[in-house]
Amino acid sequence: MNHNDEKASFDVVVVGAGLAGSAAALIMARAGLNVALVERGQKPGGKNYFGGAIYTHAIAEVLPDFMDRYPPFERPVTEAGFWFLGEDGMVRATVQGGKLKNSPADAYTTLRASFDLWWAEQAQKEGAFIIPKTTVVDFLRDERGQVVGVMTDRPQGEIYAPVVIVCEGVNNLLTQKLGLIDHDLEPAHMALAFKQLISLPTETINARFGLPNDQHGLAVSVLGDVSLGLPGMGFVYTNKTTVSVGLGVMLDTLAEYRLKPYEVLQRYLKHPAIAPLVQGGQLLEYGGHLIPEGGWRDMPKLYTDGAMVAGDAATMVNALHWEGTNMAIIAGKLAAETAIEAHAKKDFSARVLARYEERLKEGFILRDMKQYRNFSKFLETHPQFMGTYPAFLNDALGNFFSAYGKPKKQLFSDIFSALTSRRGLFKAAGDFISMGRAVMGW
Amino acid sequence: MTARRFWVFIEQEEGKVHPVSWELLGVARYLASQVMDEAAASGDEVSVEGVLLGHNVAPIAEEAIRYGADRVYLFDDLMFEHYRTCPYYKTLAQVAKKYQPEVFLVGATTLGRDLAGGIATALRTGLTADCTQLEMGEAKGVAQKVLLATRPAFGGNILATIMCRDSRPQMSSVRPRVFPMPPYNPEAQGEIIREDVDMTEEGAMSCILEFVHEKGENVNIEYADVIVAGGRGMGTPEGFRLLKELADLMGGVVGASRPCIDAGWISYAHQVGQSGKTVRPKLYIAAGISGALQHKVGMQNSDFIIAINSDPEAPIFEVADVGIVGDLYQVIPAMIEQIKARKEALA
Amino acid sequence: MFHALVAVKQVPDTTNIRIDPETGNLVREGVPAIMNPYDAHALAEAVRWKRALGGKVTIVSMGPASFGQTIREAIELGADRGVLVSDRKFAGADTLATSYVLAETIRKIHEQDPIDLIFFGKQAIDGDTAQVGPGVAVRLDLPVITYAVKIREIDLEGRRVVVERKTERWIEVIETPLPALLTCDKEIADIPFAPLPDLIRSLRYEPEMWTVEAGPVTFDPAQVGGKGSPTIVYKMGTPPLPEAGEKFNAREIGAEAAVKAALDKASATGILAAVLAQNEAAEKEARP
Ligand SMILES: Cc1cc2nc3c(=O)[nH]c(=O)nc-3n(C[C@H](O)[C@H](O)[C@H](O)COP(=O)(O)OP(=O)(O)OC[C@H]3O[C@@H](n4cnc5c(N)ncnc54)[C@H](O)[C@@H]3O)c2cc1C
Ligand SMILES: Cc1cc2nc3c(=O)[nH]c(=O)nc-3n(C[C@H](O)[C@H](O)[C@H](O)COP(=O)(O)OP(=O)(O)OC[C@H]3O[C@@H](n4cnc5c(N)ncnc54)[C@H](O)[C@@H]3O)c2cc1C
Ligand SMILES: Nc1ncnc2c1ncn2[C@@H]1O[C@H](COP(=O)(O)O)[C@@H](O)[C@H]1O
Repeated sequence: MNHNDEKASFDVVVVGAGLAGSAAALIMARAGLNVALVERGQKPGGKNYFGGAIYTHAIAEVLPDFMDRYPPFERPVTEAGFWFLGEDGMVRATVQGGKLKNSPADAYTTLRASFDLWWAEQAQKEGAFIIPKTTVVDFLRDERGQVVGVMTDRPQGEIYAPVVIVCEGVNNLLTQKLGLIDHDLEPAHMALAFKQLISLPTETINARFGLPNDQHGLAVSVLGDVSLGLPGMGFVYTNKTTVSVGLGVMLDTLAEYRLKPYEVLQRYLKHPAIAPLVQGGQLLEYGGHLIPEGGWRDMPKLYTDGAMVAGDAATMVNALHWEGTNMAIIAGKLAAETAIEAHAKKDFSARVLARYEERLKEGFILRDMKQYRNFSKFLETHPQFMGTYPAFLNDALGNFFSAYGKPKKQLFSDIFSALTSRRGLFKAAGDFISMGRAVMGW
Repeated sequence: MTARRFWVFIEQEEGKVHPVSWELLGVARYLASQVMDEAAASGDEVSVEGVLLGHNVAPIAEEAIRYGADRVYLFDDLMFEHYRTCPYYKTLAQVAKKYQPEVFLVGATTLGRDLAGGIATALRTGLTADCTQLEMGEAKGVAQKVLLATRPAFGGNILATIMCRDSRPQMSSVRPRVFPMPPYNPEAQGEIIREDVDMTEEGAMSCILEFVHEKGENVNIEYADVIVAGGRGMGTPEGFRLLKELADLMGGVVGASRPCIDAGWISYAHQVGQSGKTVRPKLYIAAGISGALQHKVGMQNSDFIIAINSDPEAPIFEVADVGIVGDLYQVIPAMIEQIKARKEALA
Repeated sequence: MFHALVAVKQVPDTTNIRIDPETGNLVREGVPAIMNPYDAHALAEAVRWKRALGGKVTIVSMGPASFGQTIREAIELGADRGVLVSDRKFAGADTLATSYVLAETIRKIHEQDPIDLIFFGKQAIDGDTAQVGPGVAVRLDLPVITYAVKIREIDLEGRRVVVERKTERWIEVIETPLPALLTCDKEIADIPFAPLPDLIRSLRYEPEMWTVEAGPVTFDPAQVGGKGSPTIVYKMGTPPLPEAGEKFNAREIGAEAAVKAALDKASATGILAAVLAQNEAAEKEARP
């Protein structure tokens, strides 16, 4: 009488309708696979958080015609860079023009609630089957221990599939259950980022941030006196009728100084250089989210018999640039292509899924991450390096101002890749600033 | 000349009248007064009339007259001893068809709201639920003034004023305690008209097997007249002892904000707010509660709110009728003493 | 075989409603649409009895196509069939017109497949009228039990049901013949966490669309939508924000003085006296 006898089975299960998950689902559905995309939220994106701006090069690799599908972008990023806060003023180092004039732009500010929903809908259009309000809690395995599906939190919650792609985000519980990593990410390698979404009239935003109209947008990282003088990196993104203002602090710093995130953020928002920008605005939402900072060192094994991991779950984030969505999307795509291949071969063993890692190596992700890996080694062996920050600052500013037309991402990494320290970017930024204060009298 | 009748349903159970019935006689009188000029011009007769159903309730009919009814239609029959939806709404619909009242008011009590929908549908007329303001006023396209009934909608976020232009009677259920008691006149004269009942047990369609009175201990904060609520600001579950003492003095119950439930200080049955109970007591005392939206939506419709908070900026003060800035551990004991004193004075 | 029908309405989640400070209008976008909570509890109880007695649960809803989402949720919670009566002509319906459309629709479903028990929510949290349920019962001339908090017994052979209904004063245990109509309070049943197969079925489910043109019900145009609605909105507004009451600072004037000032305010409104008097009376009653 109750149709509970039918057993749910698909060609592939994707866990998590975030950036990575929906990308993977889309690619595989397009290739004709029967895809289940499981999302714990009411709908995709509902609970997801980021700064933020999203990079179109990654979207285009999955959806070349994305612009014709009315993506819920807020503003194109036409000005990007850094603000260095002193006690009461700030030094702005931002880029305009050059690649930032491209259309479609390299990056758009957006809100996850609407973007993730749209992103998942594109996967749905290709035939992916979205299962919302359902949390994957474990894996189904055959006698050989190979993953053959997932267990959800619902009664009769099994979903069978010969291959599972885990895109669970930063809380890597499932990645651990797969045995790909044996521990939570370390606090010292984790940033807690929290932000407020503040609504202001479009005109006010344009005026305060010096933007001619809502087809111009600002995306900056904020360094310096953002958090009770403690190291931390803030961000400001302009949307159409809202501004996203937030900051990230390493978890261990929070613990060490017993900081309440909300208080730190309040202080930041009261800063004489920041307050006027958001003054009179109405607080729409407040939220926090972790960013895995560890990069290469924390990177789990990426595949096992019957399963692969993509996105934050695999610490594929470049905190320097608040970058993760693009890596998540690309990784999702590559995992998907690997799954398609596995279906063609009817072989879902680790041996075949190993192609996923090779694909990543060919792409920019692992190369980037290796670079940073090497770099932090270099730091460990050259502590005196800290002494050279001021020089960096000069070069940095110098570079910035002579940098019109130079690709933004590349530029940043030129200058700032040198600043990742063993304890994560934010500490480095802190040292950097105090140094800057001493030398430049900020 | 026609008769313009303003009707009020006199709600009684076991011979006890719900005070809203008297309040409504007062409202009906007020509405009647607003059409006097019209009536005078056209020579119409305006009257405030009560309708009463029950068994051996004639004395209540007389009370109704002293509260301002010119006329009371009385259905006195064993059939009506206890309220039952079908016999009540069918009888009332019939008598309304017979006398054609212009306005028909019913108290927005559990009983009244159960009843009103039935009558209105049987008469195929409009009914505005749970009203908080009533006026007679002009409206386009109608010669006579119409009933303008205002009510909260969307969880109290909106006030909608609604009229029933063409069909009669114009019906409203009216929230208790929003209108004052009318003057009581022991000398008042009026007529009681006994209506005969044509309704059979079959027509009643249901029978009441028993009445279960709930035990005292199971808290029912939704219906409490007094709620003394505590929040995280109490710091410890002990705080509730203090609040209970104050609540007991006024026959009230203890409420709480969610963190107290999360912390296991008190059971969920006490939670006020979005994910707890929505309450509407006469008196709500909030101690150590900041007044987050999710809490406010559960209590902001209370008749009178006293907020006690050490932080003068706490948002709870925005919805409070009166606020006390200070430490609840000093304020509550003081309040207990003074309530005791006031009770003595009363007794 | 037990056939239950549940009337389900989609409502904006009033706990999340925002009002535009300028226009005073509802900001509907961003406000999530949910199944009217009371209906969800009513549905849960209907499904519970379906599973106990064997049978099926049919959903009926009147509203725009977007209500299909809510019908799917009902399927997720265990309903078997969903009928959405939807037509532009229904727009602007008040409770009288709504009860007409629902009654005629239920009549038709009853012809197709006789109904034993009809479940309504106590009220819809957007309108808060609590009128549609009784209205439908009157139109179908069925016995109605409002504020139902428990179904004690459903006797399909004896064609009777025993229900507990809660009033301010007590719980009434009422017996009434089948078919009957209940309007349910939240206590009637907890909403279960649906099994995955039901969720999947609901995601694939397409509700039946009934319209004025396509039928199968023939509606009297004079009784539907705005035309069939005697009540007319005269005006809309936002309630005046309760102007924050006076504050007394215990630190400055001392706790006693502050409390006295506050209680005096309460007395001024007569509320404190009323409360104390009432309590006095209650205590007297309590004493033997
Ligand atoms: C404050 C902040 C600012 C940022 N700014 C930027 C920026 O400007 N640009 C940028 O490119 N990146 C930015 N990032 C990083 C970026 O947001 C992430 O790298 C990216 O979202 C990772 O995508 P993902 O798909 O791996 O994980 P997510 O986007 O987190 O998606 C994970 C999804 O899986 C679901 N899920 C998790 N567990 C389960 C389960 N067990 N069952 C079912 N579903 C589950 C979650 O609900 C979620 O929908 C920022 C991050 C933060 C926190
Ligand atoms: C989806 C959702 C649903 C929710 N549902 C509910 C709900 O149903 N009910 C609910 O209450 N909350 C609910 N919440 C939680 C709500 O958002 C608030 O977190 C909660 O109401 C705060 O409770 P509080 O005021 O007791 O604690 P706090 O916000 O911590 O406030 C404590 C207050 O006590 C004051 N204080 C401290 N010490 C003293 C003292 N000695 N004397 C006097 N004052 C003192 C402080 O100034 C402060 O204002 C919900 C939240 C969400 C997200
Ligand atoms: N448009 C509708 N479609 C289906 N059921 C409805 C509709 N409107 C009201 N109801 C039912 O009637 C009950 C009371 O609604 P209301 O009278 O609007 O408070 C609701 O709980 C629903 O069960």
